[in-house]
Amino acid sequence: MAAAEGAAMIELNDLTVRFGGVTALDAVSARFKAPVSGIIGPNGAGKTTTMNVISGFLRAQGSISAFGTDIARLAPHRRSQWGLRRSFQREQLADDLSVADNLQVILDALPGTAQEKRADLAQALEVTGLAARAQQLAGGLNTFERRLTDVARCLIGRPRLVMFDEPAGGLTQDETHRLGTLIAQVHGLTGALVLLIDHDVDLIQRLCSETLVLDFGRRIAFGETRAVLADPAVQAAYLGIEEAG
Amino acid sequence: MSTTLSGRIGVALALMAIVFLPMLIGGQWMRIFTSTACFTLAAAAAAFMYARLNMVSLAQVALMGVGGWVMLRLNHGTALPFEINLLLTGVLTAAISVLLALPALRMRGLYLALITLMIAGGLEVIFSTYRFPNGGTGFWGVMPSAAAPFRRPVLAESDGAYLRYVIAVVLIGFLLIDLHRRTRPGRAWAMIRRSEAAALASGVNVTAFKAWAFALSGLLAGLAGGLLAGALGLLDPATFRASESVLLFALSVVGGAQYWFGAVIAAALYRVLPALFNNAGIDPNLTLVIFGAALLHAITTAPDGIAGQIMGVFRGLTAWLRPKGRR
Ligand SMILES: Nc1ncnc2c1ncn2[C@@H]1O[C@H](COP(=O)(O)OP(=O)(O)OP(=O)(O)O)[C@@H](O)[C@H]1O
Ligand SMILES: [Mg+2]
Repeated sequence: MAAAEGAAMIELNDLTVRFGGVTALDAVSARFKAPVSGIIGPNGAGKTTTMNVISGFLRAQGSISAFGTDIARLAPHRRSQWGLRRSFQREQLADDLSVADNLQVILDALPGTAQEKRADLAQALEVTGLAARAQQLAGGLNTFERRLTDVARCLIGRPRLVMFDEPAGGLTQDETHRLGTLIAQVHGLTGALVLLIDHDVDLIQRLCSETLVLDFGRRIAFGETRAVLADPAVQAAYLGIEEAG
Repeated sequence: MSTTLSGRIGVALALMAIVFLPMLIGGQWMRIFTSTACFTLAAAAAAFMYARLNMVSLAQVALMGVGGWVMLRLNHGTALPFEINLLLTGVLTAAISVLLALPALRMRGLYLALITLMIAGGLEVIFSTYRFPNGGTGFWGVMPSAAAPFRRPVLAESDGAYLRYVIAVVLIGFLLIDLHRRTRPGRAWAMIRRSEAAALASGVNVTAFKAWAFALSGLLAGLAGGLLAGALGLLDPATFRASESVLLFALSVVGGAQYWFGAVIAAALYRVLPALFNNAGIDPNLTLVIFGAALLHAITTAPDGIAGQIMGVFRGLTAWLRPKGRR
């Protein structure tokens, strides 16, 4: 369905974003076509900024094409309706809504019958293991369950591009592993391409066949994950944080 | 659809008030309770905007004034029955509320509050300049001395019957708010309250759903104003001053914006307390001092207001009565 409208890939062309004197993104280009692609880089490298541009929260120079659609022309909420899903670095669930309603709100804006939507929602809750929590208020969930809810939100309503911004932040190793397994399933379950930001290099290596590395808003490497991680420029950037941190 | 215990209690209390309240009170108190019921609806509108969307609207009483004006205009200018006039009043006030809020839709927090306050100030000037229709000719419909009679609902011409009627409409208003809370708008509003980024990422058209919130609050304020017009037959510009809108909002916070009975408490503080002071020979303006203290108390120690504290006591009691049950 998605492929019929254009090649199954996400293309960033010369994205540039400035905040006053800070150049958060400096002519970044990349073509993501792997089922799961990584975006890594030290703190402040511009990873979240990249996602915010794709979401339409920030204006950028350059263009974004997703499956042949120029999504930069769509209003932010229309991008979600088009099939863009994302999680936030600091998760953004509505605490006073139930887990199910935190998913339903996405379906509300999409076409389809109530019956189809119920089935879609039930499946997402099932896959993420949240079925028993469906009617609980999100405010009562623990960190892991909140992250699972984020994943469930990204599974519903026929997503085409799913972006996770440090989904494993604050999780234990075991939880990170389980979350990784779920994220690896997203493409198979929905057909969506996945972009994943994380500082956990093991997680990136496990899930992402291709990875983009940013540093100070510049693309310093892009390509097959193993090769990218072996790149001296990338290692230097990471040594940089180790020294600073 | 599930109903909460407090919701069921609310419907039961409203039904009891419809049946019994007019039997228990008379004369002056009948009017005070009728006006309290009208302000309950306006307070509920302010409270839902605040509780659901974190939007501070300081124009609710002013919008009531718009509703009152439209209602009186329709009453004196047409021969339509009360119900049709009230419905038209609600719809028109909703439309005016959205129109006035258009410039504020992209704003948040303090800026939104300030814009609504400026709207209230503007309406105050209009009301005091042109006054309220009383059966005169022309667009403004004002004649110098005597006033034409107001047609109450056929079903509710006496003061007692009219009080029942008003409580019934207020109940419908509360159910309408609750219906919104449980369905698509409520979900969209909850996401907007979390953050606009979260809402946009969920596909929520933030501008449209904020406009919808202004429409609903305008509808409720319009109905409240229309009902108040029916209660008094004549309206006084002083009732709808901008300061009254600010006061009603503050009392909604004191009452507790999260719970339906917070609006009832707010309206009771606003209307019943000054009357009690008056009866006791105390200057009703002293209530302002109490309101100030209560607001300070709410802001510092009781973020969910008096209603929140009542709920806390209620939960404590039920937990104590059922020590083996779940907490
Ligand atoms: N809204 C904003 N206003 C001003 N500067 C910003 C804004 N958002 C991001 N920046 C700056 O842009 C740069 C890139 O930030 P970004 O959040 O994209 O980094 P990141 O790679 O996601 O880092 P982290 O790993 O810490 O999340 C940083 O220097 C940051 O301070
Ligand atoms: Mg970030």
